[in-house]
Amino acid sequence: MQSDEAIRAAFPGDLYVTWGDVCRRLVGAGYGDVVTDSYLRHSPELARLASPQAAIALAAIVSGLAIRAGRRAASLAPAAAIVAAKRYNDAAALQEWLRLIEQVGDQAPESAGALLDQTASLTARLDVRALASWIRIGLRSTNGEPERRLRFFTLEDPNARRWLLRESGEAGFLDLEPRLKPYLAALWGETPPMRETPANAPEQARRRPGFDGSVVRLPAAYPGFSGNDSEKLYRAAVAHIGAHLKFSHERFPVGGLKPAQIALVSLIEDARVEQLAMRELPGLRRLFTPFHVAEASGTATAPGLFTRLARALADPAHDDPDPWVEKGRRAFFEAEGYWGSQQVSRRIGDLLGNDLGQMRVQFDPKNYVVQPPYRDDNLGLWDFGDDDQQQSSEAEQVLSSTRIRQEQDDRRPPDRTETEMGDTGGRVEVIEQAQDGVLVARYPEYDYVTGREQPEWTSVKEYAPKAVANGPAARLAEEHADLVARVAALIRSARVSRAERLRRQPEGEFLDMDACIEATVARRIGEAADHRIHGRYERRSRDLSVLLLLDISQSTAEKVRGSTRTVLDVERQSASLLARAMAGLGDPFAIAAFCSDKRDDVRYLRIKDFNRGYDGLVDARLDGLESGLSTRIGAAMRHAGADLARERSYRRLLLVVTDGEPSDIDVEDRQYLVEDSRKAVHHLNRFGIDTFCVGLDSNADSYLGRIFGQRNAITIAAVERLTDLLPKLYLTLSR
Amino acid sequence: MHSTSGAKSAHDPALDDFRIDQEPYYRSVGHEVALFEAAYGARMPVMLKGPTGCGKTRFVEHMAWRLKRPLVTVSCHEDMTASDLVGRYLLDADGTVWHDGPLTLAVRSGAICYLDEIVEARQDTTVVIHSLTDDRRILPLEKKNEVLKAHPDFQLVISYNPGYQSVLKDLKESTKQRFAAIAFTYPDAAIEAEIVASEAGVKRPVAETLVRIAQRSRNLKGHGLEEGASTRMLINAGHLVAGGIALDQACEVALVLPITDDADMRDALTAAIAACL
Repeated sequence: MQSDEAIRAAFPGDLYVTWGDVCRRLVGAGYGDVVTDSYLRHSPELARLASPQAAIALAAIVSGLAIRAGRRAASLAPAAAIVAAKRYNDAAALQEWLRLIEQVGDQAPESAGALLDQTASLTARLDVRALASWIRIGLRSTNGEPERRLRFFTLEDPNARRWLLRESGEAGFLDLEPRLKPYLAALWGETPPMRETPANAPEQARRRPGFDGSVVRLPAAYPGFSGNDSEKLYRAAVAHIGAHLKFSHERFPVGGLKPAQIALVSLIEDARVEQLAMRELPGLRRLFTPFHVAEASGTATAPGLFTRLARALADPAHDDPDPWVEKGRRAFFEAEGYWGSQQVSRRIGDLLGNDLGQMRVQFDPKNYVVQPPYRDDNLGLWDFGDDDQQQSSEAEQVLSSTRIRQEQDDRRPPDRTETEMGDTGGRVEVIEQAQDGVLVARYPEYDYVTGREQPEWTSVKEYAPKAVANGPAARLAEEHADLVARVAALIRSARVSRAERLRRQPEGEFLDMDACIEATVARRIGEAADHRIHGRYERRSRDLSVLLLLDISQSTAEKVRGSTRTVLDVERQSASLLARAMAGLGDPFAIAAFCSDKRDDVRYLRIKDFNRGYDGLVDARLDGLESGLSTRIGAAMRHAGADLARERSYRRLLLVVTDGEPSDIDVEDRQYLVEDSRKAVHHLNRFGIDTFCVGLDSNADSYLGRIFGQRNAITIAAVERLTDLLPKLYLTLSR
Repeated sequence: MHSTSGAKSAHDPALDDFRIDQEPYYRSVGHEVALFEAAYGARMPVMLKGPTGCGKTRFVEHMAWRLKRPLVTVSCHEDMTASDLVGRYLLDADGTVWHDGPLTLAVRSGAICYLDEIVEARQDTTVVIHSLTDDRRILPLEKKNEVLKAHPDFQLVISYNPGYQSVLKDLKESTKQRFAAIAFTYPDAAIEAEIVASEAGVKRPVAETLVRIAQRSRNLKGHGLEEGASTRMLINAGHLVAGGIALDQACEVALVLPITDDADMRDALTAAIAACL
């Protein structure tokens, strides 16, 4: 225990009394000695380090933790608070940290202890804002399941590690991918698919890049390298792999080679392809060399010698007195004239491997990691002769730890899909057959609290739409013949009135009388006359693609006021009518419907694609729609936008019909999906896709305006009017 | 309708500005000079195909100089009407007066008429060249009620970049089939370096580096870039280097920034250029 004076010094004036009170309360609550002792011991220090107020506030948090999360977590908090106070050294940050602990204690009591255990490492890597963001992700991504949460906060969950990396600002592969792909293409004209090493791959594979015939695999991140360095590291990795793709034409047969020989042949081959690459692209030397930092000193272990040899081969200016390294270097540079052949690597590697054996230097294949870190694991250089497993098993050991199950590479890691828009046009690859929907794409979601997009947060699955014969949409023509006729008339006029009268033209079909008179007047008074005295009619060609996106969430099952029809019924009739209108105008259009069941199952149903004509099947599919689930509109719009982006029309319009606020059951914050949808709209607009929304909810004004902008959303109170309004609206929009 | 012949005196003073007196630098990369001369001998219309900045226009200038014909160049654009090519009546103080368009001028006086980027013009505009590009070799001037017979020296040349135009902008089949075509690409590295060195006035090694850099950006065609750096861009970069700008900066200014607005693309390209230096 500390002296009374020390405590009085830490809690000056009345605060000493307050501190006494909170301590008595803690003792009285009966949380046990571990908890109270911890608080009594650490709170004065916290008071000195940060503020007495913070130390007093801590008591309430300790108490809360003791009640909800247990005594262990409660007893950890005071010491953790000191770590956090030292690390952040800022009153506001500490306060925020305390709030976070309280929040986790409330919302994820089982994980509070795990989180507090890691205070030192977490606070070292994340500032308090990033920590808040990471915790938020942890709470939200685990769908309220305590076990998953615990796995997240103990960092057992690979995703937790991934998010941690991202939040710590250490640039990871996903951030850099858009630059690395063109970089590789530019350097070598090679465009193999690039994938992040799956989080469940063995540790060594996650630390180094790799390639095989078809896929380049890069680590999710290089921990310990800050933003700029890590970008250089990735670039070097990509340039190096590119050199392999360019100059390592054949795979070496593993045959009877020993692990050390395999490692050495790989090392020489690395040096060989880099030398060839630098002949063509001398600037690569500046990229590679800084990563070779091995010093010519220390005991002669195999990994140490290998690293030094790598440096000696890459950096001719570097001097290494070790005879083995020197021998390797001499052999390598003497063979300069033969670098064109891969056999050089094989020969020198064998030679050095034998020497290494004679020097009795032990090589431990299990723990060997290629150095420097930008170099790949060399798996792609070797042919294991897979049917001859027996023989190669020993040799394979050097690489086995880095070998990822083949099928995974073949199938491509399921967590990457193409979602870029623009010139690839939001290409999506069908990669995984879900139970009944097909996972086609993952999209980011925007978190307005952190102000960032969480990449690949939502999964869009496409479901085959059911077709129902003779439903309301199909019967539309009979039941609402008047409506159909009215829309048909509307279209006729829209089609024929499209010619415009252009005046004051230098040439044309008729004389523009006003211009003629002016020209004559000008001429009479001796001025130069404007010669543009003609006029003509010109038809403006329509060049517009539309995608109609229907909300079919549970709320659309409600009956329309004063009618027996549901909101969905109205939607499908309107869609059918609009489809007729659009088909009549000859504009390319598509119809899709969406609903969602949490972020990993955003359902997307294609009713009609752009390249299909409008026919009975479209109506049958509209009739087959069923109401259900929630409204995660942002993800659906991103997916629809990707479709539209492929259209080559001058104008592209995404027309959304929704009956309620964006919502989903894994989201409590009402504003969250609104802000995400707003972000999605901005994103689409940036790619030249216009968005317009029709809200079927009299209260929709507030959030639809926020999402789409006031001018790009209307709300219809009387849902029945949608059928009538939609085609008119369309004609207005498409003008 | 009356008919006039374009054949007047060999030297039409109206065309003096269109004559090319000094030899424009052109480094031949294949048989294109001989091909063009043969086509001109038969007065066959010629289409020059190839990416932007690979030397199509320079080639035409060079050939005009070689053949000692004036060269009338029209850069086509989508608002161009047939009258912009053929000519129109304009008003002056006393009434109307006819003005020949550039095409008519060339037809009348036996120049080579070069329609640059013909697909940019609307299809209804391009059909006016049809009667000139078959054995009739006439240009009807409807508004003037005149049929103009082409001067015997007249030849039509068009350029056409099949790469970046959308499907909407393509030549009509009936237009395409009237032409003999010469395909242009970026020259081989050694020749391109020679061109850059000569045009920009830089040393050969600098020119070679620039060509290597261009190769990097051409690798990106279809992978984020519509088109790689052209020979013209390399010459621009070379000019900057000759003017005392550091090579990496010159590349950034002349090769990277103009070609893409995408930050990631720019970054990748800059990094790839760094690898060449």
